[in-house]
Amino acid sequence: MDSRPILQAVQICKWYPGVQALDCIDFELEEGEVHALVGQNGAGKSTLVEIIAGSIPFDTGNLIIDGSTCLNWGPAQAIEFGVQTVHQENQLVEEISVAENIFLYNLPRTKYGFVNLSHCIEKADELLGALGIDVSSDRKVSSLTFVEKKLISIAKAFSLKAKILILDEPTASLDEHGKNVLFELIRRYSKMGLSTIYISHHLKEIFEICERVTVFKDGQRVSTSRVADTDIHSIVHEMIGKSSDKLFKRSIKPLDRSAAAETLNFSHFSRDSAVKDVSFSIRAGEIYGLAGLVGSGRTELANLIFGIDRKDSGTVLLKDKDITPKSPYDAVRKGFGFLTEDRKDSGLVLVHSVKDNISLVNLVKKPLGDGFLRLGKEEDETKIVSDSLDVKTPSVHQRVINLSGGNQQKVVLGKWLFAESNIIIFDEPTVGIDVGSKSDIYKLIDRLAAEGKFIIIISSDNPELVSVCDRIGIMRFGELVKELEGTEISEEHILQYSLGVEAVQVQGL
Amino acid sequence: MDMTRKKKSSLKLNQSLLLVFVIFGLIIIASIVNPRFIRISNLVNILQQISVLGIIACGVGMLLIAGQIDISVGAQVSLMGILMAMIIERGFKIPPDAANAWMTAWTIPFAILATLVIGAFLGLFTGFIVIHSRASSFIVTLALGSVYKGLALLISKGSSFSLYGKFELLGRGQILNGLPVSIIFFVLIVALTYVLLKYTRYGRFLYSIGGNRKAAFVSGINTTRVTMRGFISVGLLNALAALILISRVGTALATTADAYSLDALAAIVVGGVSITGGKGTAMSIFLGVLLIGLVGNALVVMNINPYLRGVAIGTIIIISVTFGEMSENKR
Repeated sequence: MDSRPILQAVQICKWYPGVQALDCIDFELEEGEVHALVGQNGAGKSTLVEIIAGSIPFDTGNLIIDGSTCLNWGPAQAIEFGVQTVHQENQLVEEISVAENIFLYNLPRTKYGFVNLSHCIEKADELLGALGIDVSSDRKVSSLTFVEKKLISIAKAFSLKAKILILDEPTASLDEHGKNVLFELIRRYSKMGLSTIYISHHLKEIFEICERVTVFKDGQRVSTSRVADTDIHSIVHEMIGKSSDKLFKRSIKPLDRSAAAETLNFSHFSRDSAVKDVSFSIRAGEIYGLAGLVGSGRTELANLIFGIDRKDSGTVLLKDKDITPKSPYDAVRKGFGFLTEDRKDSGLVLVHSVKDNISLVNLVKKPLGDGFLRLGKEEDETKIVSDSLDVKTPSVHQRVINLSGGNQQKVVLGKWLFAESNIIIFDEPTVGIDVGSKSDIYKLIDRLAAEGKFIIIISSDNPELVSVCDRIGIMRFGELVKELEGTEISEEHILQYSLGVEAVQVQGL
Repeated sequence: MDMTRKKKSSLKLNQSLLLVFVIFGLIIIASIVNPRFIRISNLVNILQQISVLGIIACGVGMLLIAGQIDISVGAQVSLMGILMAMIIERGFKIPPDAANAWMTAWTIPFAILATLVIGAFLGLFTGFIVIHSRASSFIVTLALGSVYKGLALLISKGSSFSLYGKFELLGRGQILNGLPVSIIFFVLIVALTYVLLKYTRYGRFLYSIGGNRKAAFVSGINTTRVTMRGFISVGLLNALAALILISRVGTALATTADAYSLDALAAIVVGGVSITGGKGTAMSIFLGVLLIGLVGNALVVMNINPYLRGVAIGTIIIISVTFGEMSENKR
């Protein structure tokens, strides 16, 4: 093929405070090709496509589109050139017709300047017919099925004379038929010169539809190869990279399974299709990891356990005693603690002091009618907690908003420890935290396990799970598909089961 | 360590101190223009005038700290005023020779009790609708205010009820050589608010819910129950305000307390309670109420057109909110 590149990203770098999202990325998209972009969560795929779509600026490097270097590349320029993105979530306007959605940015008008709806529907039907999508364009978007909405989103991208189409997990929740229609469309338009960037966790699809695949890891490009020259397990290997040294060494590791430690049983947690009949158990002093792709139901499971969301079923037994939380209040009273995924959104009262944040759950837990607050005592006690976690703050009166991410996370932990929580769920405990504080957090988790607490860690950072956990449960599509233990624990295994490619034998195992 | 402590305390002083300066400045200017302003009798008069606003503002202020707004308070107070006045009128109409003449003597205690019960109920009802409609409390209480006002007009048929001489203790009564009873209630309520906000779990929960509702919920706070209590407190304090107001004015009209909704909100925002919740103290509510009260009185005493009051208060709100925003962003 003597294709010419329609897009070249040359040495593109992007920094966010504390992290380098893209580290001198080279990427090339040829005219008429379908190019897959794969990598683990946080590898930098989304950052790159957002840069291409003009929605975020890059720091250094060059973006060459159609042979010329782009200066001032923004969303307007991107759309003008013909870059179209179909996002994973539905981005159509629900309350208007399919036709109006398709031509939203360029609605045909009558000579008086009003919207010419009949002409609009006519044009839209024409387009949908040409694309082979069997949806009549005068229907309201809210009446469409999920699959139809996805197809309409794609049709909308085509209508805008796209030259570069970015598809972000397009087949998520598409059935086999929908997928075939989509692939057929992509093939047909590729022949006519459309270039597609295809992001997907479903590696098998990549071999069906893509010509080349680029693997990202930690903000760097690992490889670009023709799909004909590679296979699933070399891609998986590249996504994981060279196994680095363990991030962290546990102080006490192998758990004595024969020891009669207390067992905490979680059984039959379910809610709709988000969480499907998940059961597992933990022993006191054990660190249990929950792995899986984003959206596999891990956070949803934690919300069910903690009584935040309504559940269809699910019980927690501690030595045969039922301690299932009915609400967060109940969970707090029964010794549960939950460090949520987004500490700013649901973990901390940012505008309040370290002291007020640390003492909050403890106040909830105290019996009613406990009299007036003793502010002096509260200050002394929260200071002890803050010091024991080594929170770097000038005083406990400092507002949490002024602390670094790592120290904020310690404050959230302090809140649960001050309330003497015994069962602690960490959801993405080290996201947005610098390396130094990360190892502090691991040490603290390790210390809590040594004290005999029950620990659950949800993380998308697989190396983190591998180095910190005693056992790891892997979730996919709401189910707990596999538990790894002892020597089975490896990044390869986690990724295989997360992606559902367990049938493939990975070399060297 | 010392540095941040200093930084914090100086910042904290900024807002309240500014208010204190403004209040003193206003007092000095008004006293220079008209020395009568500084007379004890006028100052007592001012305090008496703001006591109703102050009591209402304490309730709304605590609610605002929890992140909820109630702009139906004026209509609530008016409605309760009408109901109370009707009860009292009925009670005193009983002929002295009727079989149930003994009820006349119990009219006032009964009216007080009934008003407090109605207040608690109005608060409960408002809170219930706000919580279960899941709409913003601003819109819901705007609508409820219209409902309450409509009810007050319906019940009173648009006419006024006079209570002259029947019920004067709360509004006009004095103890200890001229200390008005209403001021005592005002000060007591401010003190109670201070203790609730600073020294009780309930107060801390109000702050937490206003500061970050989700985090408060995940921390185990029953956000619904605490919010509900906030609305009930507003209703109860409104009932007390209605008793004092009607007692002082001597007549009840369906529109008597209309202005209090916005004045109360103005006072607490001027005082430095964050409109989004999580911040503010009893002191900030008190200072805000004092400033709003002083402005009205000073204009009259300085012989400036009293219709300027609205313009002056609006300007003060904008200045104080802008200042609050600026000191917030400096960090």
